[in-house]
Amino acid sequence: MNVKYRLAITKGEEVRYVSHLDYMRSIERAVRRTKLPAAYSEGFNPHMKIAFASALSVGVASEAEYMDLELTHDPGADAVGEALAPQLPPGIAILRLRQIPATGQPALMAVVNLAAYRISLPLTGGDAAMEALGRFNAAAAVPYVKENPKGKKEIDVKNYVSEIAADPGPDGLKLAVEVRITPTGSIKPAEVIKVLVEKFGLPADPDAALVTRTGLFVADGASRLTPLDI
Amino acid sequence: MIKIPPAVLSRVSKPARYTGHERNSVVKNPAEVDASFALAFPDVYEVGMSHLGLKILYHIINRRPDAAAERVYAPWPDMEAEMRSAGIPLHTLESFRPVAAFDVVGFTLQYELSYTNILNMLDLAGIPLKSADRGDDHPLVIAGGPCAFNAEPLADFIDFFVLGESEEAVDDVAAAVAEWKKAGKPGGRRGFLARAAAIAGVYVPAFYDAAYNADGTLSGVAASHPAAPPVVTKRVVADLEQAPYPTKPVLPFLEIVHDRIMLELFRGCTRGCRFCQAGVLYRPVRERKPETLLRLAQELVDNTGYSEISLTSLSSADYSCLKDIVSRLIDQFKDQGVSVSLPSLRIDSFSIELAQEVQKVRKSGLTFAPEAGTQRLRDVINKGVTEKDLEEAVGAAFRAGWSGVKLYFMIGLPTETDDDIRGIAALARRVLDIYREVNGKRGARVSVSVSSFVPKPHTPFQWYGQNDMAELERKQQLLKSLFKDRSISFSWHDAHVSFLEAVFARGDRRLGEVLLAAWRLGAKFDGWSEYFKFALWQDAFRETGVDPHFYAGRERSADEVLPWDHLSAGVDKAFLEREYRQALAAAPTADCRRGDCRVCGVCQGLGVDIIDWGVSS
Repeated sequence: MNVKYRLAITKGEEVRYVSHLDYMRSIERAVRRTKLPAAYSEGFNPHMKIAFASALSVGVASEAEYMDLELTHDPGADAVGEALAPQLPPGIAILRLRQIPATGQPALMAVVNLAAYRISLPLTGGDAAMEALGRFNAAAAVPYVKENPKGKKEIDVKNYVSEIAADPGPDGLKLAVEVRITPTGSIKPAEVIKVLVEKFGLPADPDAALVTRTGLFVADGASRLTPLDI
Repeated sequence: MIKIPPAVLSRVSKPARYTGHERNSVVKNPAEVDASFALAFPDVYEVGMSHLGLKILYHIINRRPDAAAERVYAPWPDMEAEMRSAGIPLHTLESFRPVAAFDVVGFTLQYELSYTNILNMLDLAGIPLKSADRGDDHPLVIAGGPCAFNAEPLADFIDFFVLGESEEAVDDVAAAVAEWKKAGKPGGRRGFLARAAAIAGVYVPAFYDAAYNADGTLSGVAASHPAAPPVVTKRVVADLEQAPYPTKPVLPFLEIVHDRIMLELFRGCTRGCRFCQAGVLYRPVRERKPETLLRLAQELVDNTGYSEISLTSLSSADYSCLKDIVSRLIDQFKDQGVSVSLPSLRIDSFSIELAQEVQKVRKSGLTFAPEAGTQRLRDVINKGVTEKDLEEAVGAAFRAGWSGVKLYFMIGLPTETDDDIRGIAALARRVLDIYREVNGKRGARVSVSVSSFVPKPHTPFQWYGQNDMAELERKQQLLKSLFKDRSISFSWHDAHVSFLEAVFARGDRRLGEVLLAAWRLGAKFDGWSEYFKFALWQDAFRETGVDPHFYAGRERSADEVLPWDHLSAGVDKAFLEREYRQALAAAPTADCRRGDCRVCGVCQGLGVDIIDWGVSS
């Protein structure tokens, strides 16, 4: 009987600039090094049955990544953690893990609908920052044209981000941003910063922002459950 | 420790090239080692990280408690611009220390068109480009790899070269550096070079003077220092069984060019293709035992978690126990999610059987290299395959379910006529016909890739004058006009690139100034078509008054002193001359591995032997 484990893991400073695909591949290799009985897909080109919650951009670190790992038999939660932890690359640590039902569960990707970020942003000019954020928070709608290789699409930023909390410090601003992930799309933290700089005059260099994901949630009204608590 | 600002990393492409922290990388405390090496590959991370030779050296140096090896690659131009504007010097990926702080900077010379990247990397490191301008506190800049066998174009820039296999030589160099430093650097930089020159396989160009005849040809490169031998001979590892193998390679996050386990079955190849430089440089054939390979493979799987083992060698299909090793590897790893792949195929049906075994279901394309379009020309180059071999191999492949075949050819080979060019097209069409004969319908995809022949030092064709660019382009166009069938795709190499390769492959010290001028004009990443600018090289030749055609297109006479005559791969010049004559007579020379000794000089001269487990076990 196959079993499934859900793990909360990090993407630390050491691997901040690793892409999501490369991050996944390095974890797959770590799993292979553990000799845990990983399950593979059938077919010409078998893939390890491993799934992640939500892709992170290059340059974004995380204190809350989630992955589901399927095994062909159950060595026990402690054994999984003990085998995997020493094999993970520097910067990737296991925070928590527990067994979840092997079947009947919706995919991780499908359940999470909210991501929280902390953004450290060195400022390039005076006090205008808090005012800019105030204007963003007060705006009813913030139209923005998302560009990707497939084309352009106009969105309303406020559909995804209602309010941004800011904490001014000696090195600049610390922003706390919650971004909704919807079936029709979401917005990247880098795009939020770009909007703040370009449309609201936030005095900062978007390239210098350091973004860290602090949580991924299944949100329902005021309730915030992590994928490990549902 | 150098810290790259986040704003820089967020602006450049693939920033993980520059952030290190890869598993299995070795970080030592610089204060605790006597000899530190920055191992430099003069190309981008994904290319450099794929190179087995540097993995071997990294492993050997880091085994020593008194030495440390770290890695450095050429930053991509976007990163280079950021580094220059932020004043970030070239640094390593382990300790993030400036390359200029190391005792030794070692470059591997894999292809001629990476030379401008060497100058660019030295400049980014803040190390004087010319050997003569470096002081006692600058690193020793050394180089090895196949292009070191004609070191002369780099003679101004490299303090010393190490010829041949460096498994043992690098230990000698590390020990010499540690000893010299502990003794208080007696004699300074020149003092160390004198010590280095006494190490077998080491060539210190500053200890040799080049002189020229009135017609511009070389009259000699003569040793001018008591420590310098008149001829430097390559190092060779007598027994690979005893040689260290990197079973804990650095594991990249980024997808690199060869992102899989590389298992080296054997070194050397004695098939004797007359255009092939590696076939001369890595003589003789020395195989690892199947048991050793199985053990290394298991260690590699355990330490990397890779899901593919690639059997690498110059001609892997020639491994004497191939069938045995392939089935044992598949057996050992089938439950560990690890597959086996064979990168190079010999043109025979035995290879197809094996290919079938290694990639049971996936029918990706098969690659064959007939190299020339007619039997006559294949005899000239001593490529021991016949049209019948190809027909049988391709037929077997089609019967086994493959439909895509890649064919590699060269144009511009000695004695080549237009009939040989037409032969390439005929062979490609024949492959399409075979598919129809086997499957009763059309459906094969044949891709024909044609490179332009570059005569290389230490080969039987080292005297041959390369076809000029106009002639190469004429032949490319002729061939293009012969491919009418849309099932055949045709690609060819830029003749300008092959020309420049030929200039530097067989050039002498006078090319140092050209290289410097080209780099000053902005040449870098010349091996990448998006960066290669021929016009800039033309300017560099004009500026320095050096005629490139003198090096590329001129047939050299047998008695001419060649710029690499004082650098020996162990193969006698007389053997190469004999082979050139045999080539012009279209007379084949058989492989010496199982047949008669052809007296090339390697085994006798270097005291080594062919190691072939297929006959001796």
